[in-house]
Amino acid sequence: MSDEIRNDLKYTDTHEWLRVKDKNAIIGITDHAQSELTDIVFVELPQVGKEINKGDELCVVESVKSVSEIYAPISGKIVNVNSSLENSPETVNESPYDEGWLVEIEPTNLSEINELLDADTYKTRI
Amino acid sequence: MTKQSPLHKIHKRLGARFTNFAGFEMPIFYSSIKDEHLTVRKSVGLFDVSHMSNVWITGDEAEKLISLTTLEDASKIEDKKSQYTAICREDGTVIDDTIFMHLGDKFMMIPNAGMDEIVTEWLNKKAEENNICATVENVSSNYVILAVQGPKSRDTLQKLTKVDLKTIEFFGCQYIDIGGVNCIISHTGYTGELGFELNINRSEKVDELFEKILDAGKEFNIKPIGLGARDTLRLEKGFILAGNEFKGGKTPLEAIMSWAINWDHDFIGKDALIKQKEKGDYFRLTSLIATEKGIPRHGFEIQKDGKNVGVVTSGTLSPCLNVGIAMGYVKPDFREKDSILEINIRGKKVKAKVVKPPIVAKDWAKKIGVEINE
Repeated sequence: MSDEIRNDLKYTDTHEWLRVKDKNAIIGITDHAQSELTDIVFVELPQVGKEINKGDELCVVESVKSVSEIYAPISGKIVNVNSSLENSPETVNESPYDEGWLVEIEPTNLSEINELLDADTYKTRI
Repeated sequence: MTKQSPLHKIHKRLGARFTNFAGFEMPIFYSSIKDEHLTVRKSVGLFDVSHMSNVWITGDEAEKLISLTTLEDASKIEDKKSQYTAICREDGTVIDDTIFMHLGDKFMMIPNAGMDEIVTEWLNKKAEENNICATVENVSSNYVILAVQGPKSRDTLQKLTKVDLKTIEFFGCQYIDIGGVNCIISHTGYTGELGFELNINRSEKVDELFEKILDAGKEFNIKPIGLGARDTLRLEKGFILAGNEFKGGKTPLEAIMSWAINWDHDFIGKDALIKQKEKGDYFRLTSLIATEKGIPRHGFEIQKDGKNVGVVTSGTLSPCLNVGIAMGYVKPDFREKDSILEINIRGKKVKAKVVKPPIVAKDWAKKIGVEINE
């Protein structure tokens, strides 16, 4: 089994990824995380407009038997959520880095992004 | 120390991921819980359930001991019959639920995982206190238990034995040769599907039998099934998981097992149960289907108009229905069929309907067009 790790993304030890898009950050869970969870059957997304701090619970991803909290890799304001996941949570399994993204955050502190793991470092953590 | 099944290596080779359950490292799934769950509902799956216990009850008064210590009058259970029952304390609370098999002059009991020593000690103590001539021997570490479950389970096993498996009725049991291996077969299971359970002494070629069953089931796309799907399969049928539903000392009345109580004989806990029945004010195990999005989990509050009226003991997403389902203890006045309650899922109230188990009907696979000739 080899999990895909993309070079253009930032990562956390708790298996979230972050992509910078314009001045916002898109966040999801890694291929490794989705494959560990297997069938994702429910995603509980946060309210748009909510302010969150780095390390806060961002959303909840559930497989048949498990409940996993997803943590905010950075602080900021939620500006968009992937509401298509409410009806098709399995997209997180099928496309964890693209269609299966979770939330978009407007960062309050850009330097937090630089502190995240790069692809090579993340590779050594899984 | 964590125990492993003798089939551990095979599970590893088949790609299993493992979990610790009651002191055993057992497969939780091989492909995925959902996939394995639907395989059992539609076709056939093979489970290693060696974490379950095996206890021999022998002696002239073995029957008398079982009758005293369980809800069942064992003298009513004929030879070659299995019976589901529970062992209670004097106060009526359940120590364990179990199946016992009547096999000629002796009985084999199957307590839950990790309950082997507790049950063995309890039965031996009761035999001694009541001068009953019976011996109870914990042989769990000598046995492997395989479960073959699903509409194609009989067709799969039939290829490996000369005995016409149709002659073994539901809850029948007997000694049998399957694939050249001596087994005790019981037409029982924990999935609500057609199925069989095989108890095999570890001195037999268990590895070979496991492979032979997988081979025999190939044409039906048989799969090995982990404990994850075992749990979701039983929950869809409203079957109790002792570690969840009896936790904290529940009685058979609370667990809606009155159908399994044979009131026409004396047994430990009977007086307490009679009193409880007369009072009638106890919380009762109740099955629920979420009518809104959300998955109930163990420990979540069950509410009505914002007030707590119960608590979830088991919850999951139903792989067949694709909605949240749960079982939990609910106050007597709030559990009428079709009542709408709320489950508090991380602060969000999710509506759920009270249903009579099974949550997933017997003919679910037939209804979605799966050909089943049982």
